[in-house]
Amino acid sequence: MSAQLLEVPRLVRPESLVRIQQVEKTYAGRQGPVRAVASASLEVGRGEFVSLLGPSGCGKSTLLMIIAGLETPTSGSILLDGSPVTGPRRDIGIIFQDATLLPWKSALENVLFPVRILRLPLRKYRERAHELLAMVGLTGFENKKPSELSGGMRQRVAICRALIHDPSILLMDEPFSALDAITRDQMNAALADIMEKTGKTVIFVTHSIREAAFLSDRVVVMGGRPSQVILDLAMPFPRPRRFDIEDGAEFNAICRRLRLTIEEAHGGPAQSGTAARANSVE
Amino acid sequence: MAAAIGTETGVMVAAPDNGTRAGLLGIRSVVLPIGLAALALAAWQAFVVIGKIPPVILPSPISTLAYIVERWDILLTHATPTTLESALGFLLATVLGIVLAIIITYSAVAREALYPNLVFFQLIPKIALAPLFIIWLGVGTQSRVAFSVFIAFFPVVIATTAGFLSVDRSMLRLCRSLTASEWQVFTHVRFPAALPYIFSGMKVAITLAIIGVIIGEFITAQAGLGYLIIFATARADTEVSMAAIVVLCVCGLLLYGLVALGEFIANRVFSSETT
Repeated sequence: MSAQLLEVPRLVRPESLVRIQQVEKTYAGRQGPVRAVASASLEVGRGEFVSLLGPSGCGKSTLLMIIAGLETPTSGSILLDGSPVTGPRRDIGIIFQDATLLPWKSALENVLFPVRILRLPLRKYRERAHELLAMVGLTGFENKKPSELSGGMRQRVAICRALIHDPSILLMDEPFSALDAITRDQMNAALADIMEKTGKTVIFVTHSIREAAFLSDRVVVMGGRPSQVILDLAMPFPRPRRFDIEDGAEFNAICRRLRLTIEEAHGGPAQSGTAARANSVE
Repeated sequence: MAAAIGTETGVMVAAPDNGTRAGLLGIRSVVLPIGLAALALAAWQAFVVIGKIPPVILPSPISTLAYIVERWDILLTHATPTTLESALGFLLATVLGIVLAIIITYSAVAREALYPNLVFFQLIPKIALAPLFIIWLGVGTQSRVAFSVFIAFFPVVIATTAGFLSVDRSMLRLCRSLTASEWQVFTHVRFPAALPYIFSGMKVAITLAIIGVIIGEFITAQAGLGYLIIFATARADTEVSMAAIVVLCVCGLLLYGLVALGEFIANRVFSSETT
């Protein structure tokens, strides 16, 4: 799978799986309407890993929730696999900042949660759950409760849970931002590995520039007020990816370009003035 | 979350985990309270014997125990209706409490209309209303059970509502994204998440339910431990009162134990692989 991905030249766009067309989202705020997203247009190809990068409050999480069908856009439309997104749908896997596991259930049972909700055949998926847990290195932890697992392990369980019903796309909302830096690096490596193994399409929301650059095929920078897509950049690094690409001049040049783009859009160092306002929006 | 409620589990959790030292701590946590209680009883016994306190004023622990052993048949006769009425009052209070909590959780209108009134209602010194229940419902079992429900349901409503609302937003979003029905969210997420809260409410409710029945018996009954206490005290039969109080404690412990057992079973059921 990974070898195949490697051979697809980035110049030829893979078949489009998600088509986001002029999506706008305006909330009714206390001091009048707040425009969280102003006219975002974006395409994500099948098997592509696309990061939405930007400071807190740039509307990237809102856009992700709209793609998930959990929020309705004020205007614009989203096509997923050819059909419009009008509400929550079963072919999506979501991962949040917190693992949000059921504390009274074992790791295995948490992975099987979507199977129970979607009333899929348990017997068949139990095997798949074991395979997924093995893939993320959690063999032997199947019967542990979330309280017995570390933060990184819990997030791995959440990834398995998002993959169990074989969704066509994985939506990740700052999944590693609650983890410490070392665990976060490990999770990035693990995620890169998982995605190369499964070949899933991923939309990944983050405010970490290096994380986005390391993981993605394309990084989409959102920013400005009101927020829109200000840069769409392909990451030219070969897969499978290793951490040593982070030491290369090209990687650092790309990170620098991404950082400057964000700073430019916000008139100063990234995340300075926007962070405080951000919370009231989200 | 669950550990915070059942303090009694602290002993079991600490003991096997950390070897000898924790084991000693585990023993300590059993020996110390029992030792203190034994000491207090011994002091009481010594006080009565040395001070030559007449049994009418204060019977000694030993004579109280002797009375219980001697007249357990009478005590049992009176303990039965008290325990059964308390259990009935408690069960009805639990059902009423959980139903109200569901209504409060799922209806914003009900929440806004009901919740302030419930809190206000809790401020009424409810014991003062006990005589009215006799006017409304007569002197039978129904008025005692009704009064018992009346004072016991409140903690169940409050705790259960808090439990239902304790589910975090991401979890609910996850359920929505999986197109879970409201019923699935309730049975798979909200209800099991609320269980520790519900049981903590129930543990308060069981003691209140007993208090409700005893007060009812003080005023109306021809039988029951509350009746026995009032009746014996009026005849200066302090030993009988004391024995009845001890039996009441045992009945209370028994009911509390049943609730704790229920919690243990519920936890097993909801964390098992087969739900």
